[in-house]
Amino acid sequence: MHPHTECFRLLAANILILSIFVITACSSPQSSAVRFGLASAPISLDPRFATDATSSRINRLLYQRLVDFDEHFQPIPSLADWQLLSATVYRFQLRDHGRRFESGEQLTSVDVKATYEFILDPANASPHRGSLLNIARIDAIDDDNIDFHLHKADPLFPANLVIGIVPTNIVEQGEILTTRSMGSGPFRFVEWPSQDRLIIQRREDGQRVEFIHVQDATVRVLKLLRGEIDMLQNDLPRELVHYLEKKDAVSVEHLDGNNFSYLGFNQNDPALMDIRVRQAIAYAVDRKSIIRNLLGGRTVVANSILTPEHWAGLKSVPGYTYQPSRARELLLQAGFHHGHPLQLEYKTSSDPFRIRIATILQQQLARVGIKVKLRSFDWATFYGDIKSGRFQMYSLSWVGIKNPDIFRYVFHSQSIPPKGANRGRYSNPQVDRLIDAVEASVDIDHRTTLYRQIQQLLLQDLPYVPLWYEEHFIASNDNISGYQLVKDGNYDGLGSVVKAASTRLAEAQ
Amino acid sequence: MSRYGLSVWIIIIWILGSFVSQLLPLNISQVELEAILQGPTLEHWFGNDDLGRPVFDRLLSGSYTSCIVALTVICISVITGTVIGTLSAYLGGLFDQVVVRVIDIFLAFPGILLAIALAGIMGPGIDNVVIALSVVGWVGFARLARAQTLSVKHRDHVQAALVLGSRQRKIIFVHLIPLISAPILVEATFGVASVVIAEAGLSFLGLGVQAPDASWGSMIRDGTRYMLVAPHLVLAPGVALMVVVLAVNLAGDRLRDQLDVKANIKEGET
Repeated sequence: MHPHTECFRLLAANILILSIFVITACSSPQSSAVRFGLASAPISLDPRFATDATSSRINRLLYQRLVDFDEHFQPIPSLADWQLLSATVYRFQLRDHGRRFESGEQLTSVDVKATYEFILDPANASPHRGSLLNIARIDAIDDDNIDFHLHKADPLFPANLVIGIVPTNIVEQGEILTTRSMGSGPFRFVEWPSQDRLIIQRREDGQRVEFIHVQDATVRVLKLLRGEIDMLQNDLPRELVHYLEKKDAVSVEHLDGNNFSYLGFNQNDPALMDIRVRQAIAYAVDRKSIIRNLLGGRTVVANSILTPEHWAGLKSVPGYTYQPSRARELLLQAGFHHGHPLQLEYKTSSDPFRIRIATILQQQLARVGIKVKLRSFDWATFYGDIKSGRFQMYSLSWVGIKNPDIFRYVFHSQSIPPKGANRGRYSNPQVDRLIDAVEASVDIDHRTTLYRQIQQLLLQDLPYVPLWYEEHFIASNDNISGYQLVKDGNYDGLGSVVKAASTRLAEAQ
Repeated sequence: MSRYGLSVWIIIIWILGSFVSQLLPLNISQVELEAILQGPTLEHWFGNDDLGRPVFDRLLSGSYTSCIVALTVICISVITGTVIGTLSAYLGGLFDQVVVRVIDIFLAFPGILLAIALAGIMGPGIDNVVIALSVVGWVGFARLARAQTLSVKHRDHVQAALVLGSRQRKIIFVHLIPLISAPILVEATFGVASVVIAEAGLSFLGLGVQAPDASWGSMIRDGTRYMLVAPHLVLAPGVALMVVVLAVNLAGDRLRDQLDVKANIKEGET
């Protein structure tokens, strides 16, 4: 057979297969469920174990937690009000709202106690245990009242009680609710027929919501335009967001977010130990230009993990601006020049968007004479390397940080993994002292001042070069209304979303 | 030259362009934030990619990648394949049987899959792509050379050379290989086309050239993410790939027609 006739046959076969795909795709059924496109599938529906962003956000719909946050990230009552009985005893009083489990049983203080004791038991290896170690004892007083006894005073303690409450009988049976739910949230679990499709139902009116995982951004956009999904949130390149904004049938909304992107350094590295080198990098990165040309929308320059809107956030600080000449000067002082350039290895995940940003940073650092070697790894390898300190420089984001005790977790010299997330082995006695002082203090105003001092110090000392807070956006078809974006990027808006019967639906039936 | 027409000109442009591009000051890794996903302009003929790098420069550089890989792989494959195949047919016996089995095994296994596995094991990189494709590529030439040798080794001039006491090496290189070179040349031409496709495929999968170097395959992969907003990122390398492969295949067809003695005689008669 002639090779090129073979080519034509292959081509013909491909066209045939493609047309079959198109035909099956065309006949996809319309439905009254709100279909929500996801870039990554949820992993676990059990609030005691869920840690990834998608799982946590879906968990919020299925379960209720004791405490939530307002727009300044101050803890506010959700399932329960609280009062301080003594410096180390908090009493939580359950409210009437959100206390019916999917099974119909009433949520009581016993369920709260069971859930938290399960997490605190080291044998269960819950990833949330670390944030709750201050709990000494939990007493259920009656059905509605529960006391948390602490080892030491902590005025911010309620901010840790954000884990969904699971019924006692589930905890006692030792069941892990990875693939179903038994919560008291606004939604109930219906079905999880495949990894890529999860169906839940709003309890109030029976409105179904389907989460559909579509990995590829272009395919997700095409599905939205074809009506195969009704809405999607985040995880699109800016160019595709612009493309959607130009479409009549799709509306796009933006909101500033609090996901903090940063460049992290290994403080044990002989070159990066030098603060002048870290400052040079901070001055060499043109964050404004990257935001303007690549991220767009409402992404803003960051100076600290906490946003300025956070009650303990830095309000207005000069921060670092793009000053390549100053960067070169600092590098020269640190002993690096043309003949002896600074060489760094920069690790990032294999996500195309992260590689794109890393390539831009590489080029910006090259402009001041820093030779950066880019290495990208699959997520597990990358994250493993970062946790065990095998890196010179890396970039990552902190997602949804609300509690300022993050500073101990990330920057205290006692928090080197596995005890915490001080992955760069940063050690500054002054920062340690301030973190210890803030925890000893019970006065909120004093704490706020101390937190701001810590952030100011970190900004000078640069264990991280802060990059930006990425924006959130939602793109939805015209028949969707009532969804409210929130700064933390969760999916709570689904609680009030409405899907109008579309004209296309009428035609199809 | 005119009877080969456009296809040969395209091949000449491809090969010349590839090597000349190495002398030009190309900006293949010059990130330009202001020019991200810009369409074609007078300054940048094929527009700019997702990092604002000029697509035209990257296309030329990718052309060099595909050209150098194709030529190296085909050279290695043709030489090893022909030598092994001819020797096997000429010597016969156990050696022949072993070679035939090895060829059968290689042919039974999908070539590109083997290349993917090899490139995966050895790690990404253009030199490993060359090795992987050569390991797969020699088989076709060995089989062809063996079949051709079997049909010519009993011819009178070979017998005469044997009787005259010529050395085996002389018989193989002077009396056998020149006779079987025509079909091998044709096969090599088609081989170039399939190697160009295979290199693009491996680079598309991320096993070929590593960023920031360019290959048509990796350009297509990077471009697919922006297909809705900047189709030129996929079109430029895609069309280049298609044109080159088509030209090489057409040229191969012409070459075969010309080298096919029987067909030429028939043409002469009618």
